[in-house]
Amino acid sequence: MSTIASSPSGVRPRKQGPLVRFLRRDGAGYMFLLPWFIGFFGLTAGPALASLYLSFTSFDLLTDPRWVGAANYVRIATADPKFAASMRVTFFFVLFSVPLKLAFALLVALALNRGMRGLPWYRAIFYLPSLLGTSVAIAVLWRQLFAGNGLVNTFLANFGIEGPSWISNPNYSLSTLVILSVWQFGSPMIIFLAGLRQIPQDMYEAASLDGASKSRQFWKITLPLLTPVVFFNVVVQTIEAFKAFTPAFIISGGTGGPINSTLFYTLYLYQEAFGFFRMGYASALAWILLVIIALFTAFSFLTARYWVHYDD
Amino acid sequence: MSLVIDRRRMLLGSAAALSAASLAGVSRAIAQETRLRLMWWGSAPRADRTFAVSELFMAANESVVIDGETVGWDDYWPRLATQVAGRNAPDVIQMDYRYIFEYARRGSLAPLDEFLDGTLDLSGFDQATIDGGSVDGSLYGVSLGANSAAMMVNAAVFEELGIPLPDNSLTLARLKEIGDEITANSGRQGFYGIADGSGGEPFLENFLRQKGKALYTADGELAFDVDDIHEWFELWAEMRASGACVPPDVQALDQRQIETGMVSLRRAAISYAHSNQLVGYQAINEEPIVMRAYPRIADGVGGGHYRKPSMFFSVSAQSEQKEAAAAFISFFVNDQEAAAILDVERGVPESAAVRDFLAPQLNEAGRAGVEYIGQLGDLAGPLPPPPPLGAGEIDRTLVRVSEEVAFDQHSPRAGAEAFVAEAQSILERA
Repeated sequence: MSTIASSPSGVRPRKQGPLVRFLRRDGAGYMFLLPWFIGFFGLTAGPALASLYLSFTSFDLLTDPRWVGAANYVRIATADPKFAASMRVTFFFVLFSVPLKLAFALLVALALNRGMRGLPWYRAIFYLPSLLGTSVAIAVLWRQLFAGNGLVNTFLANFGIEGPSWISNPNYSLSTLVILSVWQFGSPMIIFLAGLRQIPQDMYEAASLDGASKSRQFWKITLPLLTPVVFFNVVVQTIEAFKAFTPAFIISGGTGGPINSTLFYTLYLYQEAFGFFRMGYASALAWILLVIIALFTAFSFLTARYWVHYDD
Repeated sequence: MSLVIDRRRMLLGSAAALSAASLAGVSRAIAQETRLRLMWWGSAPRADRTFAVSELFMAANESVVIDGETVGWDDYWPRLATQVAGRNAPDVIQMDYRYIFEYARRGSLAPLDEFLDGTLDLSGFDQATIDGGSVDGSLYGVSLGANSAAMMVNAAVFEELGIPLPDNSLTLARLKEIGDEITANSGRQGFYGIADGSGGEPFLENFLRQKGKALYTADGELAFDVDDIHEWFELWAEMRASGACVPPDVQALDQRQIETGMVSLRRAAISYAHSNQLVGYQAINEEPIVMRAYPRIADGVGGGHYRKPSMFFSVSAQSEQKEAAAAFISFFVNDQEAAAILDVERGVPESAAVRDFLAPQLNEAGRAGVEYIGQLGDLAGPLPPPPPLGAGEIDRTLVRVSEEVAFDQHSPRAGAEAFVAEAQSILERA
């Protein structure tokens, strides 16, 4: 019963309306969300709705939008080889960068979780690339590292290997961006580390007594109990990967080259909008990306009950 | 004594005070408040020069305040389009030949003819230059300088190897020999004779013009066919096969800025640019850079080059200060002090009087820029019609398809077919 019902005055409380109940139960949560709501409704919602309208128009910024119905969507679906190319690039990037990054983050988190001294320092150092991750400076640095005469090839030359110019060769350029993304494993690592801390120590003690090996403990205790955290990381990182833009933009000089090999979907969208002034077409591309991300997220949530264990 | 002010005098007095105050306000506004916004693209040295000339103009015209904005080429066009769409365009807009028709025909630029009688003095300009900034018979852009496509040549490499620097008789065949020789003998690590020009639109245009073709017709159609592009890609396939030019994964490092040209990256002795960029090239290269014309496709064939307005100043149709904007432009292209500051960084000045004034005080790179334009002779032909809508996208497509050929994803023939088909579909869509 609520506190009002048990108030000592003995006055019979008014029956609570749904609004009051809602505020009591969820009010604090929504207060925390308030800054986001202000930002969303004050800044994002209007332009987002406008872009939905624009996606059915032809709009070059200089003259007024002209209604074209579904023509933009039809063209994307039937007659746009660059859409297909950018989809391939983006899906390759998502399918490789997300699992690799999460595996790497988990490995480092496991290594750091053994109660070593100076843990906060290591944590901070490993987290640093994530903070810098989407910045222009890191992308420029990457460009230098992986250029034909960059540091990576200088290093390989010590072993007699003559490396290619990684970023300007269409066979390697996208993989270079995947590596850049994996290197920014800091934020999933921190979340894994927090998850590992919550696994009760006595389970491991019991397993040890039963003679379970370290690797068996990992597969039977650590991983199952960590699945909620894995799930969270998969969803967040997948969305991030679909939206990746800065590294490809900087490293390819905005072209998505060589030969569209780094033409991320967002980069193609940007080119259409700000390179060729097809705002209507770019808006349609943006809404398709939104739908794809929504579908992926929904898929993750639907399959979650088969592999995510909430033990309470 | 008591001061008595009756109601009538009180009213009169305050009315007088009021009108005096409002008059003062108006006259102050007239005296002070002409604000001009000016936007241009370019490097930091260009920004310094432009701000300095703005200061000079403000000192001479105390009633005018000029606010300058500058960004790089790639960011400039999105920003300008966004500002025009938001009815927030700058008064004075730096314009490019590629975009002036588009902006003028969509009503975003103001015709300047009405100012030609007094405010805007173009008496030192030749008629062809004025025509170059005209759209449908009205003047929309005042050229800030002339340039032409050019090859940037690292002279030190030629001297080391004892190869004579090319002159205006250079042919494509000879260029290939030079490339082979440098690649074989330079003794520099990962160094080649020439940059791969197959994705360079100005070079392709030069090649087509020498064949009697062009990039675009006056109606905005493609003025070349698959065979022309096939020949072009084949030419560069041979350059790559013999090692005369850089391999594709090196060429792909070029982001079409002075800093990423093959000469600046120290990967080749010759790369391709525009003549006003010599100043910029020399500024970041320690070795001496000289400028040479593009090669002839065969002995005695010319007409590939043309003298082009490197950029314009235009006035926004939205501007409420069109007269002041025109006055500023006139100052920019005629004033001697301004000319001394601007040098030839935006190309060779169009006003004959300014050219004569500037000639004795130019430094070596500046003089080379002026001489280069003057000595093209039969290598230069008439100014081509302005490129149609979609030309920018076709330019990017050329880069991509040339890479597909260079990385062996297409034969030169298949690449030529793909490029022409894609260019046509871009024009149809635009």
